[in-house]
Amino acid sequence: MIELRNLTKSFKTPAGRKVLFRNVNAVFPEGKNIGILGRNGAGKSTLLRIMGGIDYPDSGRVITDQRISWPMGLSGGFQGSMTGRENAAFICGLHGIWGGAKRKVLDRVQEFAEIGDYFDAPVKSYSSGMRSRLAFGLSIAVDFDYYLVDEVMSVGDAHFKHKCEQVIAEKRKTANFIIVAHSMPILKKNCDVGIYLGPSGLQIFDTVQEAIALYQQGLPKPAQAAAGAQK
Amino acid sequence: MHPNIHRNPWQIQRDVIRALLIREMKTRFGKWRLGYAWVLLEPAMHIMLLAALFSFMGREFYPGIPTMLFMLAGIAPFICFSNAFGKGVAAVESNRGLFNYRQLRPFDAVLTRVLLEFAVYLFSLVALLVILAWFGVTARFNDFLLLVGINLLFFCFCLGISLTMCVVGTKFPEAAKFAPMIVRPLYFISGVFFSLEQVPQEYHVYLAWNPLLHMIELTREGLFASYHGMFADLPYLATSSLVMLAFGLLVYRSQWRDLVRSQ
Repeated sequence: MIELRNLTKSFKTPAGRKVLFRNVNAVFPEGKNIGILGRNGAGKSTLLRIMGGIDYPDSGRVITDQRISWPMGLSGGFQGSMTGRENAAFICGLHGIWGGAKRKVLDRVQEFAEIGDYFDAPVKSYSSGMRSRLAFGLSIAVDFDYYLVDEVMSVGDAHFKHKCEQVIAEKRKTANFIIVAHSMPILKKNCDVGIYLGPSGLQIFDTVQEAIALYQQGLPKPAQAAAGAQK
Repeated sequence: MHPNIHRNPWQIQRDVIRALLIREMKTRFGKWRLGYAWVLLEPAMHIMLLAALFSFMGREFYPGIPTMLFMLAGIAPFICFSNAFGKGVAAVESNRGLFNYRQLRPFDAVLTRVLLEFAVYLFSLVALLVILAWFGVTARFNDFLLLVGINLLFFCFCLGISLTMCVVGTKFPEAAKFAPMIVRPLYFISGVFFSLEQVPQEYHVYLAWNPLLHMIELTREGLFASYHGMFADLPYLATSSLVMLAFGLLVYRSQWRDLVRSQ
């Protein structure tokens, strides 16, 4: 169960504070995959990170007994001067995986990421594709109840995307997902509950289809839609 | 494959600190050719340069104690303090990417850095004492227990100041620019290369407020049997260290969400 209680979040802008959502209350029962959609800058990633305990709201709380992952495929935590293996070992350590278990996980990550000998080269020498493969490989190494997915499917080549989808399909058997995506098929395929972040705040729907329908209403229809966005 | 599901908060804390320590060691020393030798070489060069400079001037700061040793006992704790101070200021900014892992918060980054600084300080102090002794630069040793006690207190002091600076440096990035300006004068008034007796009497009352001065004088008292710090005051060091730690923890606790919160 993930409960949002009185969640309010705003951002500082030069023109004063912009409220993303105000006093949100919601309960997501266990076993529900959550899809978050909205325009760029609507606060999707922020909401995802607040639910994951990485960022904090201005007020209110997220109450959960679930183990929630870091955003899948995230490579921001990598230290460029350390090798892929050392970075991976660090993340294992953070999650209490040491010794023999760690070596097993590292082998699996190396295999998934398909970076071969580069695994023992400094991360700063990686191409961006290799970085994201390593990052994604790492996020499958640790088992969680909920995985956070923030637009991860938009990186990498077709082969890698296919692999990611396979992994997600596999993980779905035992875990749930909170997904931010602009790709409607991905949301439709993977999510039960939909959260739509619109100009009027946050709305929660029992099915992701309803959220998608609302989102697509707001898609640019020439002229008057653009005028509406200015307000 | 499975994270250790039944980790209690202490186990999580321990895993995080352990992982961070390994990471810090690797990034700080792993990339250099001499690797971990820098743990010792870095402070050694600093200390030796200054000590050599002052012993060259041929002054004896304290009768019966070789200038090298006198300087070493002052510079080593000071470097530790100054590093704890500076690393605290930068702790959040240089670890932003790591706060994507929810169990890793600025406190862990600060604690790790202070732990590492402190270990480097103790290790290099002992190693340099041994090396100097091997070359025949020795003084009669005094009180091991005192050294253990004051160093525990000193650790609290460094952690407290580092936590405070972590909050200050993140909330007021401009303040970070002033950090070296605060540390540098402290270098001159903490008795690193003089004994308090050499300062005119009327300033003693003000200088004695500085906990670092007490730490340095007490370190010398602990190390050298013939040294008697004129103002060295253990209860004062204890009080100021614990107050500093409490202050640092309180400041951090009141502000920690703001440090990682997106604004």
